[in-house]
Amino acid sequence: MARLTPRGGLEWAAIAFATGVVLNIDRVPAWVPVATFGFILWRLLAIARPVPLPGTITRSALALLLVAAVLLRFRTLNGLSAGTALLVLMGGIKLLETRTRRDQYIMIGASLFLLLAACLDRQGLLRSPVYLAHAWLCCTALAIVAYADSSGSFGTRAAMALAARSLLYALPLAVALFLFFPRLPGAFWAIPRSSQAQTGLGDTMTPGSITELTASYEVAFRARFEGSPPPPQERYWRGPVLHEFDGYTWRRGPASAYHPQPLEYLGMPYRYEVSLEPSSRRWWFSLDTASGAPDPRAFLTYDYQLVAAEPVTELTTYTATSYTQTRSRAEISSLARHRDTRLPPDRNPRTLGLARKLRAGSASDHAFVTAALDLFRTGGFSYSLTPPALGRDSVDDFLFNTRVGFCGHYAAAFVTLMRAGGVPARVVTGYLGGEWNPIGRYFIVRQSDAHSWAEVWLEGRGWARVDPTGVVEPERLRRGILDLLPNAVSAPARFVWSRPWLNAALERWDALNAWWNERVVRFNYEDQLGVLANLGFNSPGVRQLGWVFAAALIAWLAWIAWQLGRAPLAPMPDRLARAYGRLCRKLTRAGLGRESTQGPLAYAQEIERARPDLAEAIRPLLMRYADLRFGASGARQREAGVRGFEQDVARLRLALSTGIKRR
Amino acid sequence: MKASLRERLARWVRRRQGLDILPVMLLRRRLYIIPTRAGAAFGLLQILMLVAGLNYANSSALFLTFALMGFTLVSMHQCHRNLLGVRLLSAAAPPVFARSRGILTLALENPSASARYRIGTALDGGATATTDVSAHGSHTVALSLSASRRGRVRVDRLMLITRHPFGLFRTWTWVHVPLEMLVYPYPQGSLPMPGGAGERQGVRSLTNTGSDEWLGLRPFRDGDSPRQVDWKAYAREAPLLVKEYSTTASQLRRFEFEALRGLHTEARLEQLARWVVEAETAGERYELVLPGARIPADHGREHRHRCLAALALFGLDDAASGTVAVSPAERMPGSAPAWLA
Repeated sequence: MARLTPRGGLEWAAIAFATGVVLNIDRVPAWVPVATFGFILWRLLAIARPVPLPGTITRSALALLLVAAVLLRFRTLNGLSAGTALLVLMGGIKLLETRTRRDQYIMIGASLFLLLAACLDRQGLLRSPVYLAHAWLCCTALAIVAYADSSGSFGTRAAMALAARSLLYALPLAVALFLFFPRLPGAFWAIPRSSQAQTGLGDTMTPGSITELTASYEVAFRARFEGSPPPPQERYWRGPVLHEFDGYTWRRGPASAYHPQPLEYLGMPYRYEVSLEPSSRRWWFSLDTASGAPDPRAFLTYDYQLVAAEPVTELTTYTATSYTQTRSRAEISSLARHRDTRLPPDRNPRTLGLARKLRAGSASDHAFVTAALDLFRTGGFSYSLTPPALGRDSVDDFLFNTRVGFCGHYAAAFVTLMRAGGVPARVVTGYLGGEWNPIGRYFIVRQSDAHSWAEVWLEGRGWARVDPTGVVEPERLRRGILDLLPNAVSAPARFVWSRPWLNAALERWDALNAWWNERVVRFNYEDQLGVLANLGFNSPGVRQLGWVFAAALIAWLAWIAWQLGRAPLAPMPDRLARAYGRLCRKLTRAGLGRESTQGPLAYAQEIERARPDLAEAIRPLLMRYADLRFGASGARQREAGVRGFEQDVARLRLALSTGIKRR
Repeated sequence: MKASLRERLARWVRRRQGLDILPVMLLRRRLYIIPTRAGAAFGLLQILMLVAGLNYANSSALFLTFALMGFTLVSMHQCHRNLLGVRLLSAAAPPVFARSRGILTLALENPSASARYRIGTALDGGATATTDVSAHGSHTVALSLSASRRGRVRVDRLMLITRHPFGLFRTWTWVHVPLEMLVYPYPQGSLPMPGGAGERQGVRSLTNTGSDEWLGLRPFRDGDSPRQVDWKAYAREAPLLVKEYSTTASQLRRFEFEALRGLHTEARLEQLARWVVEAETAGERYELVLPGARIPADHGREHRHRCLAALALFGLDDAASGTVAVSPAERMPGSAPAWLA
């Protein structure tokens, strides 16, 4: 392996900063990293050759310009995205004037700040090792910056090994603190998280909007049921409920003072935990009809949608209870009836006529619903992802001309028919189905599962779910969109879908991710208490947490002190001392032990007195030892002397009584 | 006020540690450690990360913060151990002539199996030198000492310091070894060398006259005439050697302080120093007569030193009052030690 070139502090400070920028590269507008990498390149080029660096005035002007650009783009300097962009740009400018060791430390500090920003934004399973690697890089840069001076630089390999070793020593403490450092239940403050792209279902529906969504293979949320999950045709995940129709677009309409209708729950309750992926929207999803808001962060609207107080910007977990069959115990209010039967009067005249005809031929609202569904079943309708474009009277166009549509078309047409026939009806958007992950034992609901259906008010029953898509394409209720319409999703997702082994691998990966999110990312105070309970604490609380935390800290400190403190003071005896030790042990076996206070010369005299017969052989050895140990001689000479001494000690054979033998 | 605090601290450390006798092994009792400015900033950064991590209940940020905290504590131990157990074997500063710079040579030994990096040595005067010492190895470092005036340059204490490995902490110690560097008077003066009690007065025998006895070669010393250097040997990449001839029979010179009338004391001493250097170089025998002291005629390295030392210390009390101590006031400009940053 080629030896890595040792680099100076400036290069490493620049590398550390550049990787910090890379960690945040997808969170800032593209020109931000481009500009910063330009600055980094500029500074690095200036090391080797005389590229002029900007003066103070140019730098200040550049800084002002970039602050203005960030302000213009974000309208604020506050918030994670704007702050990160600013840090990236100002770091780049700082690098341009980086000369001293202090400046280099500042660059490494900025890089660690960027790491923090990246952590606050995302903490996926794959990102964590990258974050750790970045911390390692920063520590390596610290070592190199600290070492580098005019006399040379630390080897890259040595610095990396040193940083890695230090971080490994720190790892047990990090784990212990992670487990036992008391977490806070709430936040002290919040910084605004600005302008992340919203994903998932919107609050409007147009004929093509759901189709766009189904092309995405991204995860919307994961759901784990306590007990058995509902059957496939019951897995309707409720999202925004749409009331207002202008002939083309369906909208939620203004929030109103309606309260949820009191319901009678039929059938068994489903209790489940949902881990919602960030969407920057306020929708929480529940299985069909939730019995109430799962926690104070969200509320249940009058149309049984869960809406959060804040947009979902990070992984959010909640536990909810739902019923798939309900009956209303109250009559629909006249206001609600008015609202959910309203249609734009000048649109879709043929549909209105058709509805009136159908209603006239039906004995009840229920029969009317059945008649409308029969129309879809027998009217030559087909299910397609790529329906033809619709004209101004979109429902007329769909029902009488194209007859090809996706779930949105059917729901819209059905609700329009119902309203025209005087039956209160509304469009519900959400997701249908979900993919079972056998490893993690949960459902993954993806954007490709997006769906829309209808709800109609039936006397004596209340709001009832009707899914006209299921009439046209009954398979949709049991199978995912991928199964049904492979072209619905993007090519990579199709690629995965068509290869079972890959799909299985991805299932595992998803399960691992879910575990990571649940157990590590969302590790909180309650989980800490759970760990304590597992350790055998009866009534764990913050005090017990403190005790364990302190004990772990002390144990680690003692371990580190022991690990790192003993080596420098317990010098390995050098070769000469070891050879001398061997000689002394040989003599001891021959009955000539050395007093610990006796020097070699005194020892020689002692031996001469006790065993004059051995003196001739041993005295020169001891003299040589004394000479090598205490005499002055050059390094090379000394080394040769030590080697000779070792050999002679090895050759020495002593017999207890017969004197000396030489081989 | 600051200086007085520094002095009081120095006195306290001196009282606490006592006087050292070389070789000195640096043990825990004498090692001091504090965070550097970079280390303090790093700590502040970690506090910020901790607060942010707690506030947002962000596990990644918290774990990384805890890892960095552990890292910092580990680096503290590493910094401490980098100096722990190092031995200062010797410290010596050979005499030099005034108006030059002397060299204080320190020998450091690392008896342990782990290498030591970036051990800085420093004088209170500000001179620093940094070295690495390999495992079981030893290394010498040279510190520059200013020798502006004749007399003694006294070094009261040495500092050994390290910021290795990450520059977050500095570990240091003071070693109190009373060290003196003798500074000979600057050899100058234009007066002709006086003849001695003997023959061939006034003749300077700088070169081999043919009759002198060949003594051999010796290493070059300050003040040796270039004409006596064995350039042929030097061309063969030998060290700079000087040919020495014995002229014992031919010359005996007497250098008398009192004889140099009309000059002030320092000028006299400088003139005498020059004569001593020249006479020694020429291989002549010479005696030095100072008020109250007489160094009988002789020649050779030992004799030269005795004469120059007598000149160096002439009129200076042997007690501390006459010596020149390196003090913070004499700090050399432009050489502020890097580790203070």
